Amino acid sequence: MFRLLKGFGVTLNYFRKKKITIQYPDEKVVMPERFRGIHRFFPDKCIVCNMCVNICPTDVITLTGKKHPENPKKKIIDTYNIDFQGCILCDLCTEVCPTDAIVMTARYDNLSSYTRSEHFKDIEWLSNNHVYGNYEESGPVPEMGERGERK
Amino acid sequence: MSIKTETMTLNMGPQHPSTHGVFRLLVEVDGETITKAEPVMGYLHRGSEKLAENFLYTQFIPYTDRLDYLNAMTNNYVYCAAIEKLLEWEIPERADYLRVIVMELNRIASHLVWWGTYLLDIGALSPFLYAFRDRDICLDLLNEISGARMTFNYIRIGGVKWDAPEGWVDKVKEKVKELRENIAEYDTLVTGNEIFQARTIGVGKLTKEQVINWGISGPLARASGVNIDIRKEEPYSIYDRFDFNIPTREEGDVFARYKVRIAEMYESLKIIEQACEQIDEGEIIHKKGARIMMIKPPAGEAYTRAEASKGEIGVYAVSNGKNKPYRIKLRRPSFVNVSILQDLLIGENIQNLVAIFGSLDIVLGEVDA
Repeated sequence: MFRLLKGFGVTLNYFRKKKITIQYPDEKVVMPERFRGIHRFFPDKCIVCNMCVNICPTDVITLTGKKHPENPKKKIIDTYNIDFQGCILCDLCTEVCPTDAIVMTARYDNLSSYTRSEHFKDIEWLSNNHVYGNYEESGPVPEMGERGERK
Repeated sequence: MSIKTETMTLNMGPQHPSTHGVFRLLVEVDGETITKAEPVMGYLHRGSEKLAENFLYTQFIPYTDRLDYLNAMTNNYVYCAAIEKLLEWEIPERADYLRVIVMELNRIASHLVWWGTYLLDIGALSPFLYAFRDRDICLDLLNEISGARMTFNYIRIGGVKWDAPEGWVDKVKEKVKELRENIAEYDTLVTGNEIFQARTIGVGKLTKEQVINWGISGPLARASGVNIDIRKEEPYSIYDRFDFNIPTREEGDVFARYKVRIAEMYESLKIIEQACEQIDEGEIIHKKGARIMMIKPPAGEAYTRAEASKGEIGVYAVSNGKNKPYRIKLRRPSFVNVSILQDLLIGENIQNLVAIFGSLDIVLGEVDA
């Protein structure tokens, strides 16, 4: 019986200790720099090499390119889609990208939707995904906590 | 005058909270005594082994995360080690140390999930909250180094994906001390509790012979007096450089399994401490390993095994010299360990079913693969 009360002692002891929980929707956990959240795409950097399409284990990336208007030897990106129904956020597309055109942000919430088609994100959505992440040197990085606008 | 009785078939699952996933158990009960138990599995089957045949070697690593998702680092490791064996690559020392640190951190996280959910299964709510508080310490550290909290995809063929961020190793050292104090608290909270002991001591006894005959491994085997741990038996990676013990117990009941797992957490903390002391600067990946799309092992076959938190995990890889594996066979400890249920449950009380089933510590992602 004494040992049982000793156990309760541990619990009671926690009344005078610091709280460890976070009031989630009001306060948010700041994820570390490497966190693999949803993607952000930089169309200017993309060289249409198709590496991300080839490495994707779930085949959710589709892209098309077109000829560069000035230099016909080069290609620029035309469409770039990720189907987030199947994306497993494995980060392999970022890892193989030679120009860091596709990066992963620290955005991890407000991504559910009512229809399947809403999970299909196009180039516009992906390049407007202005959230903090591990890509300081490129593009505008807004203040922490600010979320990209949703369609 | 004898009363005519008949047995009743009870269907536990597939949606049952204590199965921690989708697992079905067909139980035949005579009054309150179990006379027959038949595990039915496959509700989470994704065909991982077959999928591997259509993937580049690196592409399969995220899928190994999703086998035993509570202990993904060891799964990552054992798959990569099999391919490295085929390639005959030397792994940089720093990569090996980082691997050991993350694998042991993950083992603690996995045992903490077991500790919390097991006590939840048998009716104690608050230990779950303590366990997840401490598990979060481990997961935050792993999040910082790998960028994910559960499906890490961190270990690469030939090394690791990222070097430790600045100050990470010191942070691990600090947190190890914190974890040690917290885990010591568990003993006061639960281990000494009379109600808990009455519920677990002598329940679900597993004999040494049963363990060997059914091929059980991991803490389950060590709680029945079978002293087997791949880390000592056949030291993989750099486990031969650390000083640690293999906790074993002779009783083989649920309480013994509990004690073994708690003791194992302390041993893991010891390994992490030593690894943090010994780690040096250096390369983190083999010079050819960074080009993840170009990995092409020569034709041949390799088998590697490692000690996951659930037991012995093994990967058998066959290569035919192309850039995709010819065959990957996974030896999943949970799958082997769950088969004991049909033998272990017979003659037990129906009230003890959840207590015994929970003590096996299975993860359905691994049972069904």
